[in-house]
Amino acid sequence: MDPILTINILNVVYEVSTLAVVVLGLAVVFGLLGVMNLAHGEFVMIGAYCAFFIQAQNLPFLAAIPLALLVCGFLGLVVERLLVRPLYARPFDTLLATWGLSMLLREAVEAVYGRGFRSVATPLTGSVDVLGADYPSYRLLLTVVSIALVAGLVWWFVRSATGRRIRAVVNNRELAGSVGIPVTALARNTFVFGCCLAALAGVMLAPLLPVNPTLGLDFILKSFFVLVVGGLGSLVGLISGAGVIGGVESVVSAFLDRTYGYTTVLIIAILFLWLRPNGLFPRT
Amino acid sequence: MASFLGHSAALVAALALLPQLVGEFWAYTLALYFLYAIASLGIGLCWGQAGFLPLGQAMFFGLAAYLSGLSLIHFKDSWLLLLLLPAAALAPGLLAYGIGLLVFRGRTLSGPFFAMITLALTLLAFQIANSWNDVTGGFNGLKNIPGLPGLSDFTDLYYVSAVALGVCLIGIAWLRRAPAGVLWRAVSQNEQRVRFCGFAVQNVKAAVFGLSGVLAGIGGALYAPQQNLVTPQLCGFLLSADLVIWAAVGGRATLYGPAVGAVLIGILTADLRDEISYWEVILAAIFIVVVLYFRQGLMGFVEPPVERLWRRRAKRTLDGPARPAASGDTGFALDGVRVRMGSVRILEGLDLAIDRHGIYCLIGPNGAGKTSCFNAMTGELPVRSGQIRIFGHARTGTAADLLSRIGVGRKFQAPSLFPDLTVAENFNIGLWGGRARLRDLVRMRSHGWSSAILREAQSRFPFLAEEDRRAGDLSHGQRQILELVMVLIAEPRLLLLDEPSAGLSQTETQEVIEAIRWVGGRLNACTVIVEHDMTFVRELADRIFVLHQGRLLASGTVAEIQADERVRAVYVGASA
Repeated sequence: MDPILTINILNVVYEVSTLAVVVLGLAVVFGLLGVMNLAHGEFVMIGAYCAFFIQAQNLPFLAAIPLALLVCGFLGLVVERLLVRPLYARPFDTLLATWGLSMLLREAVEAVYGRGFRSVATPLTGSVDVLGADYPSYRLLLTVVSIALVAGLVWWFVRSATGRRIRAVVNNRELAGSVGIPVTALARNTFVFGCCLAALAGVMLAPLLPVNPTLGLDFILKSFFVLVVGGLGSLVGLISGAGVIGGVESVVSAFLDRTYGYTTVLIIAILFLWLRPNGLFPRT
Repeated sequence: MASFLGHSAALVAALALLPQLVGEFWAYTLALYFLYAIASLGIGLCWGQAGFLPLGQAMFFGLAAYLSGLSLIHFKDSWLLLLLLPAAALAPGLLAYGIGLLVFRGRTLSGPFFAMITLALTLLAFQIANSWNDVTGGFNGLKNIPGLPGLSDFTDLYYVSAVALGVCLIGIAWLRRAPAGVLWRAVSQNEQRVRFCGFAVQNVKAAVFGLSGVLAGIGGALYAPQQNLVTPQLCGFLLSADLVIWAAVGGRATLYGPAVGAVLIGILTADLRDEISYWEVILAAIFIVVVLYFRQGLMGFVEPPVERLWRRRAKRTLDGPARPAASGDTGFALDGVRVRMGSVRILEGLDLAIDRHGIYCLIGPNGAGKTSCFNAMTGELPVRSGQIRIFGHARTGTAADLLSRIGVGRKFQAPSLFPDLTVAENFNIGLWGGRARLRDLVRMRSHGWSSAILREAQSRFPFLAEEDRRAGDLSHGQRQILELVMVLIAEPRLLLLDEPSAGLSQTETQEVIEAIRWVGGRLNACTVIVEHDMTFVRELADRIFVLHQGRLLASGTVAEIQADERVRAVYVGASA
């Protein structure tokens, strides 16, 4: 195969699989709590800053993972209790409150680290030969880890008792509560879990991103568009949505430039909202 | 009217005197935040009145600023500026209207979708402004923009901004009190009911969004000559977010709130940003607290969200215009209509035709498809196959607002009205639907419309004459009757009533029966009622249609149906 084609294909797979990890966290929270967490992208951003912080302390890169999980897990816990839980009955206000939270986190990070771009060194340098093409090892590793993560989570969601409980609550919250599923605790844990997933993605992606306070904004928009295109509430939808959005953006960006990639994604999202508002795989 | 003029005069005087009080430096700073305040007023309209949140308002502000800046650079001192500057302010309005039509057409529930699209668009606008070097000057922006011809010092600039803000405030105050404002608030509460009253909700919302675009445009068009510099940040999400915070903290539903928020927080920010490094964080925290606990915002403590004084004065003195004359046949026909939701078969080839005036009851066990039959007729459920004809024309999948305008009225099973509006305003939405033209919606006198049916209804149900009550404060039975009357005053020729007696007392039921009989005769209408209460059915029905498993099982007079073996079999235990 043509090496350039191989690299482009790998890039698309990379884009789609990492995007899927971010969206998964957003989608699970939305599915279970009915809360569109507009600060989800900021958790990715904080994860990335954790990686930066760890490197600045000359600690091994992997130490960033527990730190990010701890920071974002704790933040998620506080946010769930103070913002999300009191607003269950007011979904529109939840949107606003999490939008406010996203500003708060962004400004807080900016107050500490400034607006400038930070770079995080890649923990795994060098490249691997894939079908005759040189591909950066870290990207490849990230793609594999992302796919494994999404697949593992899906498997767990379908097979485990907790996964079954979550699906029960998504289906019918009242009934699930009345048969003894601890709905409130489950909702809290799910929210925290979603935040942790975002943080994890942030750590992993940090070496490949220009780390800056507005980084989360791109992610929340892209993730949202994935849900719009794929449809809310099914995994097939999520993955196909990530495929369309991530795929189109990386292909167009590769051939033209980032602005065009961005524009194309936006146009696709608007077309979907307009013509197929429930996405490719609507929730039934 | 007098109070309105007095109010406006006081506002103008206050704005005119301000620079004498605060001095030139602050007058200059205020002038800038007045322009932001105008844009923030637009968010107040969208979010505080019509109930949808735009997160990308800066793109309109920025667009107008670029257009105005380019006009001033290329046509300095030319008379063409008299055309170009207003055009620069209006262009964003047109763009917003177009975006609104596009996005609102897709779904009736705006929720996060609309907000996210506008956010994405403002990011896109930033990208374009930042990279289109030839036109926008790229990252550095447009520099050395000449000021407005004939204006020299800071006080002049102040007066331009102040006049613009004053005019916008007066205009908005008028619209909020006018029928248009009532319609916007109705949309924010119950889009479905607004549609079934004959208004194309997507057009109403797009118009509000367009108006907010014009407001942002006015701010932006004046920004360029005032600041002499336009950069891509003006289209960015930071200004968009600020505008939302200002509107929220100031009080989104109030008239002055968004402007007060913009000026107050803007000035504080200008003053404190350098002194307190966490100022922006504090601001975001204040915003969250407002969202959680003080939704009315600062001005909500001072100013009533809606001007109730005005409303009390509107007496129903003149009859509204007559409904357009009836055309076409009577009644409707469903021909082999199939509806499915996922794998559930809801209607399985339903044939049902009524071609005469009269009162018809639709009965059948739960799940027979009675309400779904109505939903299919009013375009709420997608029809898989088959045809629906109403008044002799093909109407399969026709939108509810059009149906309402041609004379189809529908009352829902659970009362569907506008709980936060007064009884009078609820009636008015019903009266305006299908009658009011665009100009009627900006005239105060449309508040005083009445109709013979409304007067008659108010004498039948005395509680309906207490028009200043909040509709949400009525009892369940009263709300049922209010919704019924809202539907009746639109004078439909085909009335679809879904369990109109549910939750009513014995006396109320009797009154409703009489009202339906009276109105049906008076409007010469074809009335179709879904009902479980057999006393109700026996008293009213000229003919009964029995549905079972999505099909028509039987039809006939009350006696015929009671004698029908198949119907008995379906209802075993219920009527045996």
